[in-house]
Amino acid sequence: MRNQNFARVQENKIPESSFRWGYAIFVLFLLSILSFIAIGVISLFVGIDVESLSGNVALIPIQGVIVGSEDSEFLFESVTSSQDAVEFIEKADKNPSIKAIILEINSPGGSAVASEEIANAVRKTNKTTVAWIREAGASGAYWVASAADYIVANRVSITGSIGVIASYLEFPSLLERYNVTYQRLVSGKYKDIGSPYKEMTPEEKAIFQENLDSIRDYFVSEVAKNRNLNKKDVDKIANGLFYLGIQAKELGLVDELGSKDEVIAYIEGKEGIKADVVKYKKEETLLDVLSKVLSKQSFFAGKGIGSALLDKKIASTVSIST
Amino acid sequence: MRHLNLPKERTFIGPALLWKRIAAFFIDMIIINLVVLFPFRSLFQNIIPKDYSFSEAYKLLSSSTDYTGFITSVSFVISVLIVLYFLMLEIKMSQTIGKMLMKVYVVDARVHLASSRSTSYNNTLKAWQLLARNLVFIPIFPFVLLWILDPLFMFFTKTNQRLTEILSKTKVVEKYSLEQ
Repeated sequence: MRNQNFARVQENKIPESSFRWGYAIFVLFLLSILSFIAIGVISLFVGIDVESLSGNVALIPIQGVIVGSEDSEFLFESVTSSQDAVEFIEKADKNPSIKAIILEINSPGGSAVASEEIANAVRKTNKTTVAWIREAGASGAYWVASAADYIVANRVSITGSIGVIASYLEFPSLLERYNVTYQRLVSGKYKDIGSPYKEMTPEEKAIFQENLDSIRDYFVSEVAKNRNLNKKDVDKIANGLFYLGIQAKELGLVDELGSKDEVIAYIEGKEGIKADVVKYKKEETLLDVLSKVLSKQSFFAGKGIGSALLDKKIASTVSIST
Repeated sequence: MRHLNLPKERTFIGPALLWKRIAAFFIDMIIINLVVLFPFRSLFQNIIPKDYSFSEAYKLLSSSTDYTGFITSVSFVISVLIVLYFLMLEIKMSQTIGKMLMKVYVVDARVHLASSRSTSYNNTLKAWQLLARNLVFIPIFPFVLLWILDPLFMFFTKTNQRLTEILSKTKVVEKYSLEQ
């Protein structure tokens, strides 16, 4: 038994020096390769935009319809989710190297709640904020822009459009045509207000209108507060009409006409820095892309666009937008 | 010409000197930093601006869950690579590069305890033993406690063993010559 142990120890003796160095170099080489592979895998599965950490001016795009979250009903339209926009604004605010934030706005507006969320985040930041309206900065997008310290708009851009719109589908006649009856069972007089299966009563319409007026009033007061304007003056132009950039400048809705150059010049002058603009954008990991493709495929294969419209909850058929 | 039939060099194996162990560790850390973690270094240089202090860098990296998730993943991968470095070298040769330069070896404490007059090294080390002795590199609680506890044991035990060495039943030794 002892001899056997001795034999085993002899077999396992430390290898020769030349082999050891060769093996050590092999291990180092192998681990270096593994490091590169690991970085690749991490970048694929953990969405991080390394670029967004450099630079001293953050550029946050507000493109398309402003929505609360990306999984809203805008399938093919470009959207800006208030969740993402607020996250970017907060990230830029916490980043000590970022001295100013540019909101690159090209949006017709969208959800009143989502617009207010972004506007609040802009107002809360301690950094210099500049709204740069390109093609459109209307309605809710103008609400967001008004929260910035300075607004630069293109001469022929569309701005303003301060007002609130609500719409809903109503198809009781269609149901009637196909001999389908809407059986109304509610506990609470207005529980099915806005249901597409019945005609809206004048009383219900009045309730809606009252709410829209309240939202509009709040919108107007927020714009007036943000832009340090007289509320009555803003109220006069808050009729839903849009203004070209040049008209908006005359009215005092924007501070300057111009493009990115004017935005940069304003920031450099105010902060005394050489602007190094870095765009904040949502990084999509491989898993995000795959899940998006799969969810879209499933959507079309399973439900179809028509069923998506019909399956919606009754209470959610009325959409309020700014 | 005839040679004298001189007696063989009398040697024995004993615990490695503390300074040699510390030097070996620093050599290993430098090699790991220069070669194995080189790609990560350039990654961090991209993330953290050059003129940032530690507190500024910390504030920046903890500013978002994206970054903290990224940093956690990277630290975990780095720790796995470090453990692999020690594991792959020690399982085959009982030495890392630092230990090779300092001429010290990792051995199975049970074997060397049984044969205190041993004059040769052997690498009967098992993978679990090597994993256990390198747990200190895992940046997850409770292993992070070992960052303080583990080296402390080395200074206060007779055999100069770290806590993880005691748990893994391993020790670091070197060959002493009686003629020295």
